[in-house]
Parts: sequence; structure tokens; C-alpha cells
Amino acid sequence: MVGLSEGEKEFIKGGIAQDLRSDGRKRYTYRPIYVETGVIPQANGSARVRLGATDVIASVKAELGKPSALQPDKGKVAIFIDCSPTADPTFVGRGGEELSAELSGALQHCLLGSKSGAGAGIDLSSLIVVEGKVCWDLYVDGLVISSDGNLLDALGAAIKAALSNTGIPSVHVAAGASNDEQPEVDISDEEFLQFDTSGVPVIVTLTKVGKHYIVDATSEEESQMSSAVSISINRKGHICGMTKRGGSGIDPSVILDMISVANFVSRQLIEKLDSEISAAEANEDESL
Amino acid sequence: MEFVSPEGLRLDGRRPTEMRQLRAEIGVVSKADGSAMFEMGNTKVIAAVYGPREVQNKGQQINNDRALVRCEYSMANFSTGDRVRKPKGDRRSIEISLVIRQTMEACIMTHLMPRSQIDIFVQVLQADGGTRSACINAATLAVADAGIPMCDLVTSCSAGYLNSTPLLDLNYIEDSAGGADVTVGILPTLDKVTLLQMDAKLPTNIFEDVMQLATEGCKAIANYIREVNPVILIAVYIWPSLKIF
Repeated sequence: MVGLSEGEKEFIKGGIAQDLRSDGRKRYTYRPIYVETGVIPQANGSARVRLGATDVIASVKAELGKPSALQPDKGKVAIFIDCSPTADPTFVGRGGEELSAELSGALQHCLLGSKSGAGAGIDLSSLIVVEGKVCWDLYVDGLVISSDGNLLDALGAAIKAALSNTGIPSVHVAAGASNDEQPEVDISDEEFLQFDTSGVPVIVTLTKVGKHYIVDATSEEESQMSSAVSISINRKGHICGMTKRGGSGIDPSVILDMISVANFVSRQLIEKLDSEISAAEANEDESL
Repeated sequence: MEFVSPEGLRLDGRRPTEMRQLRAEIGVVSKADGSAMFEMGNTKVIAAVYGPREVQNKGQQINNDRALVRCEYSMANFSTGDRVRKPKGDRRSIEISLVIRQTMEACIMTHLMPRSQIDIFVQVLQADGGTRSACINAATLAVADAGIPMCDLVTSCSAGYLNSTPLLDLNYIEDSAGGADVTVGILPTLDKVTLLQMDAKLPTNIFEDVMQLATEGCKAIANYIREVNPVILIAVYIWPSLKIF
């Protein structure tokens, strides 16, 4: 719900063309990012990420489950996103469901890899307890509290932060169970395994406005976009997933160009995010 | 089950008439006209207010000379101990939305803003008993933060009766123990009760004690809110005087 006059629209487009956006940023500059971890003590891991006026919370809950027959050596991860009406009055009732579904879908593409489980940004084989019998199911829940554009990048960052904040209880499997029985497991209350998140990608969304594209668009800028491409890239520079939103088509060569820009931007973003996450965790330890 | 130990301590170490730790913050949702976060122990809620603005759906406008107040209560998937995916708009949320709306309507000076609409959205981030009260307290703060005229603050607190002891501000375990649960909302300066709900049964004389305790709790919350946000004090107290002129 952005109401802009013709003059404002021209101002935004003109600013982007001249590499000086309304808030003083350049085209490839992110807004300051703030991370707070452990905001939901009831969850196994949680984080709140603020990107300008965009504010999201991600939480991770781990439950013991059974691995699927197709991938007996892998755990399962499910991502659900909810858009709270606090972010925008149009999300009231079922109004936010379409956007929630779009965001959940895009995040699944960007973080979870293909149906076979190969190439996932999150290492699913570390979630296995007993092959073919017991595994951890991770439920990742995202909540949009305040929305000022670029929700996907913020949610991706929040999920990454929440996963690095996640402690999965260590499990002792009772020995001697026969092959077809469900083994008895003993969940420890004290020992927790840290989840390896070094491979979890970040998401960089490039929004095309006019002839140029920008990162981290605000909702005013998003209202002027022709299309947007979200690319998830990990530390090694591998592309882990991609989605395109918006109606109008993009030239294939532009997409390749966007990927190289995203690659460059993602390195800075990962560095910034990592330092913010470790600062947030140090802060949390202090307050305990 | 024993909810009050022989030493007079509750499960979480509180005394029977002790409240959980309160924490409040305003301006947590930068896009909203007014917003607040309110914590009562482990219960944590966010409220956002949009408006007063033009009525979006003219069909909902019943009274032409008053503002329309709308409210929606929602719970995050991760807010409860066991993760459950709840559909939006279940009976419980609709009931609580209605309770919050009626309580806020009682203190917002709706006659000053005819033909306009005020939206109050409350989002539960963590539920550990007393979400109803926490939502009302957060909503009051958010409405005050939005600069919407109110005749008084409205604060809410619950009290219960377990092991023959009146207990203030029940947490989830105490709340689900099956004893009586009295939720009271008051206008602290005008000294009026705007919300009163109770489930289970209680003898009349004990009910008096429990309600008295809950009212004391509401007053304590009001004092806390005034302490944290002196700006809100001004916002709330200028308006009644305007009515006199």
C-alpha cells in the first residue's frame, strides 16, 4: 500500500538512474542491518533481523521424526512464513496469505534445494540420528512484523541467524534394538549440538527499476519495479537457488550480469551478517 | 498438583501476590502510526495501530458520528511450547479480538473522530498465560503512541485461585490447572472496570478477594506504564481537560 505522486515516482526513478537513491544510498548498498538472537526462548533457535524499517523474526523448532523413504540419510526442513497484520493493514484476515505463500515458496527454492535434497543450502545429512529411522525435523517459522521492502533478503538473513543460534539436543540411541523396531532414543536436556551454518546462503534480491537494478529496495522503490530476481549465494560463491518475481521480462544477458553483481554484493553481506550474528550472540551470553 | 509450596512460593518462585516482570517499549514497528511491545514474564506481544484514517470498507461503518475501531489478534506459529500451525481466524482469536476491541472502544474518545477508522493489530510472539491482559496493555500503549485521544489508560491483569490461595498474574501452567481465572481491565484514574471475565466457579466472598487482587495488579501495571513513558501521561491527560473547555 504505497501512495506516490507522479513527481515522487519520477524522483525515485531519476535517483536510481543517477546512482543516488532517495535515502542517500548507492544502487548496490544495503541499509544497516541489525541482528538480535535468542528472542524466542521457547524455540531451539531464534533471531530478529531489522533492515531499515523492515523487521522480521525467524524461529527454529526441532522435533524428532522419521526420514522419508526416498532419502533415508537426511533430515527434513520446512519453512513457513506468516505476514502479521502489524506490518500492513491489508494483511488482515486472509489478506497476507498470498504474500506468505510466495515468500515461503521463494525461501524453499533458495535454501532447500531440489526434491532429491541435493544441493540444499542447509546441510540435511547432519540432521540424521539413526539412518532410515530417526531424524530431526526442523520447522523454520518466519514472521514479518514490519514491512518496508526486501522481505526476502531480511527473512533469509533471519533464518541464517536463527539457525546459527539453534542448539539441537544431543540424542543417545539405546543400543541393541533390532532392525525393524523403532529405536528408543534419549534426548539430553543439557548437551546441545551447534548447527553448522557456514554453508547457509544469503539471499540477494536485485530489483529492476527502469534500466538499472538495485539491491535492498524499500517498499517505495519496490512499487516502481518492473521485475526482481532473488539469488541465493553461499560463502563459496555457489548459487544455491533463484527466483524471479514481477511481470515484465528480462534480457538473458542482464540476468547473467545480475548474477555477477549479486556475487559481489553477497560477499559483503555475508561478512556483515556474520559479524552481526557473532556480536548478537556475545550480547545474549552477556545478558544471561 | 501443588501450585503453592508450604513456604508460600509458586512454581516459578513468585509470592502469591507478586506479578511477573514487566517490560514495555514503544515505537517497535516503524511503519505503523503507533506501536508497542509488552512483556509479562515470558508472555510477549506486539501491538500496532493504524489510523485514524478514512474508513476502508464503508459497509462496516455503523455509527456516522463515531470512529470505527477494528482489532485483530493473531498468534505466531512459534508462540506456544508445542509448535502447531493454527488457521487464521479460529474461534479463540475472534473472541479475544472482540474483547480487545470492546475494551479499547471504551477508552478511545471515538466521538472526536467521526467517519474515521482505527485499526489495532496485536501479535502474540510468546504465549505463557495472560495473553489477553498483555494484549490489552500493549494496545493501550500503542494507541497512546499513535496520539489517539483516550479518556484514560486501560490496563488489564488476571488473577486466579489455586490451593486455597488467590494468585496474581497466572502463567500458563497455573492457567491450565483448572482453577478459576479472573481477567480484569480497569481505567485506573477514573477507577472503572471495563473488562471482567471469569471461568470456573468461586464462592462470592473469595471472588471479591481475587477480583480485588487483579484490580491491584492493573493499578500496578498502570503505574509501570506511566513510569516508563511519561510522554504518554501527557497524551492521555491533556484530552480529558479539553472536554471541559
